[in-house]
Amino acid sequence: MATSGTASTFRPSVSASSRLTHLRSSPPFKVPNFTPLPSSRSHSFSVSCTIAKDPTFLMAEAEKTKAAGSDPTLWKRPDSFGRFGKFGGKYVPETLMHALSELETAFYSLATDDDFQRELAGILKDYVGRESPLYFAERLTEHYRRENGEGPLIYLKREDLNHTGAHKINNAVAQALLAKRLGKRRIIAETGAGQHGVATATVCARFGLQCIIYMGAQDMERQALNVFRMRLLGAEVRGVHSGTATLKDATSEAIRDWVTNVETTHYILGSVAGPHPYPMMVRDFHAVIGKETRRQAMEKWGGKPDVLVACVGGGSNAMGLFHEFVDDTEVRMIGVEAAGFGLDSGKHAATLTKGDVGVLHGAMSYLLQDDDGQIIEPHSISAGLDYPGVGPEHSFLKDMGRAEYYSVTDEEALEAFKRVSRLEGIIPALETSHALAHLEKLCPTLPDGARVVLNFSGRGDKDVQTAIKYLEV
Amino acid sequence: MSSTKIFQVRGQPLPRFPVRNHRMINTVVCGFPIISHHRVSNVLSRTSGPFLGYVPARTDENPFLRGDSNGRFGKFGGKFVPETLMSCLRDLEDEFNFVLSDHEFQVEFTAALRDYVGRETPLYFAERLTQHYKNIARTTGDGPEIYLKREDLCHGGSHKINNALAQAMIARRLGCSRVVAATGSGQHGVATAAACAKLSLECTVFMGTTDIEKQSSNVLSMKLLGAQVKSVQGTFQDASSEAIRNWVGKLETTYYLPGTVVGPHPSPVMVREFQSVIGKETRRQAKQLWGGKPDVLVACVGSGSNALGLFHEFVRDEDVRLVGVEAAGLGLDSGKHSATLAVGDVGVYHGSMSYLLQDDQGQILRPHSIGVGLEYPGVGPEISFLKESGRAEFCTATDQEAIQACMLLSRLEGIIPALETSHALAILEKLVPTLRDGAKVVVNCSGRGDKDINTLIQRGMPSSLC
Repeated sequence: MATSGTASTFRPSVSASSRLTHLRSSPPFKVPNFTPLPSSRSHSFSVSCTIAKDPTFLMAEAEKTKAAGSDPTLWKRPDSFGRFGKFGGKYVPETLMHALSELETAFYSLATDDDFQRELAGILKDYVGRESPLYFAERLTEHYRRENGEGPLIYLKREDLNHTGAHKINNAVAQALLAKRLGKRRIIAETGAGQHGVATATVCARFGLQCIIYMGAQDMERQALNVFRMRLLGAEVRGVHSGTATLKDATSEAIRDWVTNVETTHYILGSVAGPHPYPMMVRDFHAVIGKETRRQAMEKWGGKPDVLVACVGGGSNAMGLFHEFVDDTEVRMIGVEAAGFGLDSGKHAATLTKGDVGVLHGAMSYLLQDDDGQIIEPHSISAGLDYPGVGPEHSFLKDMGRAEYYSVTDEEALEAFKRVSRLEGIIPALETSHALAHLEKLCPTLPDGARVVLNFSGRGDKDVQTAIKYLEV
Repeated sequence: MSSTKIFQVRGQPLPRFPVRNHRMINTVVCGFPIISHHRVSNVLSRTSGPFLGYVPARTDENPFLRGDSNGRFGKFGGKFVPETLMSCLRDLEDEFNFVLSDHEFQVEFTAALRDYVGRETPLYFAERLTQHYKNIARTTGDGPEIYLKREDLCHGGSHKINNALAQAMIARRLGCSRVVAATGSGQHGVATAAACAKLSLECTVFMGTTDIEKQSSNVLSMKLLGAQVKSVQGTFQDASSEAIRNWVGKLETTYYLPGTVVGPHPSPVMVREFQSVIGKETRRQAKQLWGGKPDVLVACVGSGSNALGLFHEFVRDEDVRLVGVEAAGLGLDSGKHSATLAVGDVGVYHGSMSYLLQDDQGQILRPHSIGVGLEYPGVGPEISFLKESGRAEFCTATDQEAIQACMLLSRLEGIIPALETSHALAILEKLVPTLRDGAKVVVNCSGRGDKDINTLIQRGMPSSLC
């Protein structure tokens, strides 16, 4: 429904196509033809895609890209407009533009700030518990061994051993530190099932920052334990009752808060989605996963992984593993999305397989939308993959053919959940189980001795109740 | 259960004890096989050598006996088991001694600790907690520094996996196909189930019905990991007895995996050895972080595995203070607590001699604590010895104090500790004001508190905690 005042989903208004004319003169990408949205969805101010203010700068960038030729692998990821090819960008109301550029500037300067890097490394080591091991899954490898004794070797990157039990904390910790540097004492975040909320509340407790988490009222009921956890950690959990009272409504409310309180408040986005610089920042904060993997692979077998596998919801754990290896073209990258009840059922979250390009939450990317451009409510048994969009960089990697994307149903994920628990004594998160499920189809196609590194993005303690309902145990 | 005067077996004279305010109460060993329905006779080890007739007087010459060949720590410990188990225990002891020096085992174990368990665990400087105590205790702003040894980051969420993994490896070496264990909070059960899954061993875990209710998430985890969970009327002590009974019934194929430093020799020594990695890492990390040793080590004590894991490395360093914290439950006077060392008496339980909570007739009392893992009427014999010899100090914390400490750490450091661990954290309030500025306190953060969220909610925690 129409919301007055603030942007709810960062989507451009009806007449957006005409406002993009200034882009048509030397675009480094093709302007996509998206269907104009019905007027009931527009908001009181239109989104103007203000990119560079200096036209000569714009020209210079375009020249550079032309010079790099049509080889997308030479393009900067992202470029200075926050674009990965045609994806990404900053589709936000004017009020947020300053905050975003401030964030971007801070991020770039801290990347070279030794003090900040040292402090962050110390926290990742002593608080989060890095580096996480690269674990050779012996029984899983045996399970995939073919009759002639050949088969791939499966390694698990143990992000489940991090404090709070998932990769999410890598980004939360770094953003909280960044917020402190910016002098912002107030942190906001949105959460669906509560995992990102708990990670945010955790780091706010650690750094003594005020923490407000927006959560859909429906989700709050379903995830009472996580709500309690966040409150125990000192965060304020605000229920959102508008719309369907779920994640996307919580996101809108959080954005509204940010727009109102932007001077004092930092918005910790949990994934590689959203307006620039978030996809880049969150990816770079998670890139430690890939960096460690490279070093560990070298130590363990003196080489690089052959295949990287990760589950994809928004895409943060996948980008964290992939980013380090994007330029190593011999390393195959596979993302696994949630096919829910099946791709044909209409109840899934397989954005890259079944979605179309559009703008959601400030970035252009693939998203699950119907013919009228309305967001389709996604479904997955795993809350973390239950997102109708996907990070713009993943959309880019897919279009370029650099990464392959598949999907796995709820049932297949549950089977993998049970299988890995029984074979390795590690209970995976249901999100991670999607990546693990894909091994069933992948391993028979791999040559003998191929080394597969799977991002074990989280532990499954939080999913035990759900899984028990479905599995006969 | 009637009591037996154990020291009148074979006409041995009753030993004389230095006058203390406890009595030697004679207790029947609980839970040992009723196969032939004869009263369990407390057969001690047959080896010659100092018997219980010898009680070392408190001497400074050899203050820290680490368990002689009969598994005794001073007068504590031993092997109070039926004959049927003696050869089993001997085999186990031989295997244990072998693996301690077997390079292949050590390499495999170290790799598993690193890649599977996630060691080494950090020694984390709890800045905000330190500041909190500085603010309330001092006016000058200086004060002790508090470090947390992060065993909560281990796979499974507690230190229990260190021991479970090692023993599961031994079980496999011994050719056993099946492992049985007993668990209180479920942490040891989960650790055992995980290790067994990894090493393809069948796993059966016994758990008390009351505990199953309180720690249901752990029960589900065990089942998912492929373990069979058998419920036993009562709590951990009953589950232990049942597990031992089950083990003895199928000795050839089954390995009994104790989670803590109780039981007949060699269990206390084995479990302590495998947990001692905690203390070894701490020594190295302390050296790196501040170029010295810790001044005070603090750990919660149920039976004593996490405490010994941290303390053992430093027992010979007399400048390092060792502080164990037991559960005072609803208060020491309420009768509902688990403060074995504070108010217990010496006796024999589950195969070894140690302090235990017993009444005048030698009946075992039922302990209580909000930290389910601390609910054990006994305590490890080595812990009893550390107390008797004065090497370690022991105090208590109530349920309420533990809950407050849990909430404090959550709010200040973003770490939700297990309720067991919270007991250790609870005494910081009393301990810190007595310490000099800059004293380094290392608290063993033995486990994470996800399993206790339901308990905290049930206790009616205010829904908004600021």
